[in-house]
Amino acid sequence: MKVNTSEIVALLNAEKPKMKLWLKVCAHCSLCAESCFLYTVKDRDPRYMPSYKVIHSIGTLYRKKRRISHQDLETIGDIVWNRCVLCTRCYCPFGIDIPAMITLGRKICRTQNIYRRYDEK
Amino acid sequence: MIKASPKPQDEIFEAVREYRSILNLGCGGCVSVCLAGGQKEVQALNREINHRFKLENLSSRMDNYTVERQCNARYFEGLDDRVAGYDCLLSMACGAGVQLLAERFPELPVFPGVNTVSIGIDREIGVYEEKCRACGECVLGYTGGVCPVTRCAKSLFNGPCGGTYQGKCEVNRETPCAWVDIYNRLKAQDRLHHIYKVRPPMLWQNQIQRTTVQPAYAHRYKK
Repeated sequence: MKVNTSEIVALLNAEKPKMKLWLKVCAHCSLCAESCFLYTVKDRDPRYMPSYKVIHSIGTLYRKKRRISHQDLETIGDIVWNRCVLCTRCYCPFGIDIPAMITLGRKICRTQNIYRRYDEK
Repeated sequence: MIKASPKPQDEIFEAVREYRSILNLGCGGCVSVCLAGGQKEVQALNREINHRFKLENLSSRMDNYTVERQCNARYFEGLDDRVAGYDCLLSMACGAGVQLLAERFPELPVFPGVNTVSIGIDREIGVYEEKCRACGECVLGYTGGVCPVTRCAKSLFNGPCGGTYQGKCEVNRETPCAWVDIYNRLKAQDRLHHIYKVRPPMLWQNQIQRTTVQPAYAHRYKK
């Protein structure tokens, strides 16, 4: 499936200063993990750590930019929809706005028609 | 979650036909889950409405965009630029989302694209059942987990009315009487004493607009 990379790059560039700063500031301290209820109910599966989720969604998007594939977006879509409910309760001691990063991930996926389907079992 | 159903297309078309440029805003929250106002439904409605504009030789155009949630202004970030240039907004969110959107863009007419129906549960894909009326005085603990406010046609609090007949409601003989279900469930749990106690009249707090502040956060908002 074709990916409109120009559209993705435009969205990434529009939010680049703060997103890049947040990705850089993340010290991988994992203090955000305990504030995520999904992480705790999923037996502390590290893939549910908020830091993991942003690094493997927004981080991947900024790293790959124009090289992003549809498969990459499907993977990112799985992270931003199935591993985060945007409850906005995650906490970062450095003030990283994790929900804003996940929201950007969702926004980008939506432009490529990747979003959570509720009419499929 | 909140359940909604799409408004009839004719009603939506009549509401927006006088505008040239319309932005249809979907919501990624509850209305996506109940298949009423998510990205998929927004795109489908746009195709239909734009087709009708064409059929009626109108130069109007409806575009679409879906935000993650319309009941939280933080997800409106970036909407200012997008909304500029549109004559009106169509919101596919629940009534709460429509109102927050109208509050955020007071200069623009905002029309609802769905009817907000209830707080309910998912029985099947596309089948939802009302379970709660948000009365603000939950008694489910005493009624075996059956809500008399939602299920009883008269929202009775202290047992059934005289219209109950063979376990059915007088309003509709197909509808089970909530109080018979409450009795049966409590009897099975050996907890009938819960309904022998007379409950005071309800204050019907949902008749006025309410604001919820969780106790742990109350100190932040003390005036």
